[in-house]
Amino acid sequence: MTQATIIALAVLALIAPFLGDYQIYLLSLTLLWGIFALGMGLLLGYVGEINFGQAAFVAISAYVSTLLRLKLGWSFWAAAPVALMAVVMCAALVGMITMRLRGPFFVLVMLAFGEIVRLILSNWQDMTNGPLGLRKIPPPEPLLGLSFDSKLNFYYLVLATLAFATVALARLVRTRTGRMFVAVREDELLAEFVGIPLMRHKVIALCISAFVAGLGGLLMGPFLTVLAPAQFTLFASMDMVVMVIVGGIGTLAGPLLGAVFLIYVPEFLSFARELRPAMMGVLLILVTLFMPGGLIGWLKPMLEHLSPARRKAVPATSRDTP
Amino acid sequence: MFAQQLTNGLVLGSIYALCALGFTLIFGVARIVNFAYGEILMLGALVTLSLMAYLNINFFVALPIAMVVIAALSVLVYLSTVRPVMRGTPLQALLVTTGVLYVLREVAIAIWGTAPRQVDMGIEGVLEVGDIIVTYQRLVVVATMVVLVVSLYLVLYRMRIGKALRAVAQNRDGAEAIGLDVNRIVCFAFAVSGAMACAAGALIGALYAAEPTMGGTPLLKSFVIVIFGGLGSVPGAIVGGLLIGLIETFTGSYINFAFKEVFTFLIMIGVLLFRPAGLLGGRTA
Repeated sequence: MTQATIIALAVLALIAPFLGDYQIYLLSLTLLWGIFALGMGLLLGYVGEINFGQAAFVAISAYVSTLLRLKLGWSFWAAAPVALMAVVMCAALVGMITMRLRGPFFVLVMLAFGEIVRLILSNWQDMTNGPLGLRKIPPPEPLLGLSFDSKLNFYYLVLATLAFATVALARLVRTRTGRMFVAVREDELLAEFVGIPLMRHKVIALCISAFVAGLGGLLMGPFLTVLAPAQFTLFASMDMVVMVIVGGIGTLAGPLLGAVFLIYVPEFLSFARELRPAMMGVLLILVTLFMPGGLIGWLKPMLEHLSPARRKAVPATSRDTP
Repeated sequence: MFAQQLTNGLVLGSIYALCALGFTLIFGVARIVNFAYGEILMLGALVTLSLMAYLNINFFVALPIAMVVIAALSVLVYLSTVRPVMRGTPLQALLVTTGVLYVLREVAIAIWGTAPRQVDMGIEGVLEVGDIIVTYQRLVVVATMVVLVVSLYLVLYRMRIGKALRAVAQNRDGAEAIGLDVNRIVCFAFAVSGAMACAAGALIGALYAAEPTMGGTPLLKSFVIVIFGGLGSVPGAIVGGLLIGLIETFTGSYINFAFKEVFTFLIMIGVLLFRPAGLLGGRTA
């Protein structure tokens, strides 16, 4: 599946110059949501925790980097590491509080955290300009002679960020740490029993997930040119969750596929654009009830069926195992 | 000033308590965090509104009818989406109720549009006692809440089905072992929860406004309240609701109005750190 993802990313890079402005915008939006979904996917699929406060991490990164640029005149590239550091520190702090809680309490506290961040953003008028938000956010400054003023170049920046996040996470989940995440997800008690430091791994996972969300957050301001608290409600986090579940939980390609699916399907069915939230709800219910593997779980056997070389290599009996 | 704030806080708190009751009941009995709860509450307000408009009836006639309708809807939500995942992971229950949240909200927008509307209780006038000013409408809201809480108490502690419900809340497997029909009892809990949510929604609609996006706040408040009072605890929901109402009113008027909700969330996180099972401990139903 990783190979398929790499091929898909390469195709996305190659076709871009032949597309119109609107298609580039749509693709950039999809990739941006792909980054968010990827961050949520790590937490949902590999740690088994649902985070309804994920949008807050995106917001922190977006606001910190943009404020540094607008108020202090920093360049995008100087502001980015500071913003990412801020996000990871917040995640570590919040994680140390919330990861001690079991059952539904993690969900509720993360939700409250998301609300706290959103309320601060809309009420700290002097700094954030309240509900009206920050406007006229310029594209990132040129880096190594590369300008990001054009939509196409910015698209490549988003694509590169997504590729970096995907590759980094793909490596991570194969390491000892990644396997420990899964062990914790499968059986907390047993994982603790065999000596995995539960707390530390959950907090690390939350930090990595927040870092990925922060990467997307950096790009959000320059992409939309506007940042407002209304973009970071509970529903933004829920959209990420839906993408992960519909695409396929417990994989990295799944969240990306989910992002593509949930942005392009309403786009193709133009009458369905208004129905998008309802469609997301119905999909979430149907996939949870009837298709726990998501789109990936459904596509995988088909892909393997299509490539005869693969089929020969993989014994028929193991084809059904994910 | 202080007495007035105290009164305002108690009125707000009684509405919060009513919101939290239905939410905590489902958690207590089914061990499920019902994310669709806020939307069921919202539908309660809008259905009450429509009944009043189309049948040309009084608020207090429309409310019981709406409560029956919403109770049925709540049961329908349980049977169609929650029941299949009752034996699954808590994550699945969370996901399906989130899905229901999306669907109910969109359905409401399609039917009623997005404009906020006021539910007219038809009660005018103001009561003045010393320095304290309260509208009669607010007094009626508090009285309605008291009536509902007393009825809930009678159902839970004086009726056979209430006893069975508490048994399931305490020990599901045990209740099943002694021959209780757990599925029927969870259905009943969803019905009662729906009826309470409907009343809470209609009263919020009377005091503030009824609109399809009104469900988010009561849902969040219910979370905070049940964390204060203990998830699944009915007395905890009442005490927690009043407490949050008071905290918000006082921090809003004495510290900073814009950040009053931030204070409640911070206090909630503090409570969780030191009393993970809530202020009143882990008692259920």
